[in-house]
Amino acid sequence: MMILEVAKSAWRSLASNRLRTLLTMLGMIIGTGAVVAVLGIGEGARSSVETRIRSLGANLLTIRPQSAAGSGGVRSGAVKTLTRDDALALAKLPGVKAVAPENSGSAQLRYMEKNKNASVVGVTGAYVEAKSLTMGSGVAINDLDDEQRSRIVVVGANVAKELYGSASPLGTRLQINGIAFRVVGVLAEKGSGMGSPDDGVYVPLATHQNVLFGQDYLSTISLQAASEGESASVKASAERLLRLRHKLRDDQDDDFEVRSQTEMLETMNQVTGTFTALLGSVAAVSLIVGGIGIMNIMLVSVRERTREIGVRMAVGARRSDILLQFLFESVVVSLAGGALGVALGYGAARVLASFGQWSTVVPMYAMVLALGVSALIGIAFGVGPARSAAKLDPVEALRFE
Amino acid sequence: MKPTLFIEDLTKVYDSGSEDLAVRAVAGISFQVNKGESVAIIGPSGCGKSSLLNILGCLDRPTSGTYKLEDRDVKELDDDDLAALRNKHIGFVFQSFNLLPRMTAVENVELPLLYGSVKNSKQLALTALERVGLGARARHLPNEMSGGQRQRVAIARALVTNPSMLLCDEPTGALDSKTGKDILELLLSLNADGTTLVMVTHDLGVARSLGRAIQMRDGKIVADGAAQSVVASAMESEAHAS
Repeated sequence: MMILEVAKSAWRSLASNRLRTLLTMLGMIIGTGAVVAVLGIGEGARSSVETRIRSLGANLLTIRPQSAAGSGGVRSGAVKTLTRDDALALAKLPGVKAVAPENSGSAQLRYMEKNKNASVVGVTGAYVEAKSLTMGSGVAINDLDDEQRSRIVVVGANVAKELYGSASPLGTRLQINGIAFRVVGVLAEKGSGMGSPDDGVYVPLATHQNVLFGQDYLSTISLQAASEGESASVKASAERLLRLRHKLRDDQDDDFEVRSQTEMLETMNQVTGTFTALLGSVAAVSLIVGGIGIMNIMLVSVRERTREIGVRMAVGARRSDILLQFLFESVVVSLAGGALGVALGYGAARVLASFGQWSTVVPMYAMVLALGVSALIGIAFGVGPARSAAKLDPVEALRFE
Repeated sequence: MKPTLFIEDLTKVYDSGSEDLAVRAVAGISFQVNKGESVAIIGPSGCGKSSLLNILGCLDRPTSGTYKLEDRDVKELDDDDLAALRNKHIGFVFQSFNLLPRMTAVENVELPLLYGSVKNSKQLALTALERVGLGARARHLPNEMSGGQRQRVAIARALVTNPSMLLCDEPTGALDSKTGKDILELLLSLNADGTTLVMVTHDLGVARSLGRAIQMRDGKIVADGAAQSVVASAMESEAHAS
């Protein structure tokens, strides 16, 4: 029997029971919709993180303190192993173009009647270039400001907006933890996201350490290699130097961590990938539920049409013809559901993108994957009922009431 | 000339678990049907007519003995071959028509041709419908037609592949007597045109109008001959029994 006829017959049987077909599809629609939306959001998060990290340049190394006991991440803020002297020593290494030490903390900002809690970052003159930032207006903090412990501040775009509205902050006095700072510059807007420079304010590092927080350690040292090719060797020599300076014995672990942008990228991708996989697998469970729904309705359909199967066999249908017919029906249902689900998921991802802060890109592979999985589910859950139809005894089937 | 149907020492035993409960529905029968004959198979309910019909229709396999349809021994055929045999050589006409409800008349008639991958199927189906006098109803669904019309569609479906025989199971059983008569006349006229007719019926009036009758009882053939005389003696013994 020609495939066209099988398709026609499948369509006829599905169309004759529209509501049932639609309800059966619903499971697949929701399942694929969820998967596509989740993958879209995951991909969006990944690409926005990637863009941000890439914008910093491939020759940037980031050094962070790390407790010697092991996992850095959570406790790194409390570890006090990096100092300004480390940064000065690093700057003398061959192949190092710039070193930007920084220390960050959280403080209360106040301008006129407006209050805001923000992260305050102590920086040196190299900071703006190392982090690929641009000034919106005013000037950046330079090394002289750092030496003189000037009480000046550069504010991020969001902070400026929140505290000053449309007025220019330049020349005004901003209170940080009750101490007055003169605003000398505003950063150009960088784009939204977690830990965006738009949300911070920047003071000279020495001011930060001595005036504001009374700390003599650093949270991060950014190291710029002269070229991308040199970043690996710079990384190795920076690690050697820091171990030496920190007087670590051979059997002791590093109390710092040097990471290149590529590594950062990999880590971030791993994190977003894990999240996407986790959410995606939750969504995939609903696909299986959808498949069970299809199987259920196909079993009912086979039973209802037992006599039809008998008649078809009597006029010459082979068992494989019957198998194909029912399999085709379940695949049509699951594929149609999958296609509607992809459209739904795409729409949902778009809506979330317009509400949320992140950009949402539904990748092509996600849609193809969702459709492929739908077809597979149609086959996997349709083959049982279809086989039971094909295995019917024609005599029994013809006698069935 | 080879017979269309060749049956020799055929048995059908339904095994219901143990030896004692085995039912010999067909208990060793032999007969032949030649091309162009019209044969009625008669007998009381439970005499094995239906079991024999299922075997003749290649829907079921005999337990032992030989059944050759157009010189092909069904014993040697697998399920797909049997399906092909049904498709090409057998046209079924059922008591309850057995049309597919969601398909129009012409689509129902076309169905065997599609399974046989015959070209030009739509045209052939329309011709078959015209042959049974329903050319004008081709686009109607079964539930838009009368019982007689539905049985005509079923006959067209049985005819459309030019089978070796029409195998009819009480073809007039679900129809009123006037319509039943029309259907019988249609079948007889097809037989007159050369189509072999094998009909299972308990309606002796219908059986009498065919050429030959085979009377069965308890799985065996008790009479086989000209329909007139077999039916006459069957009626006599029925009258005797009551």
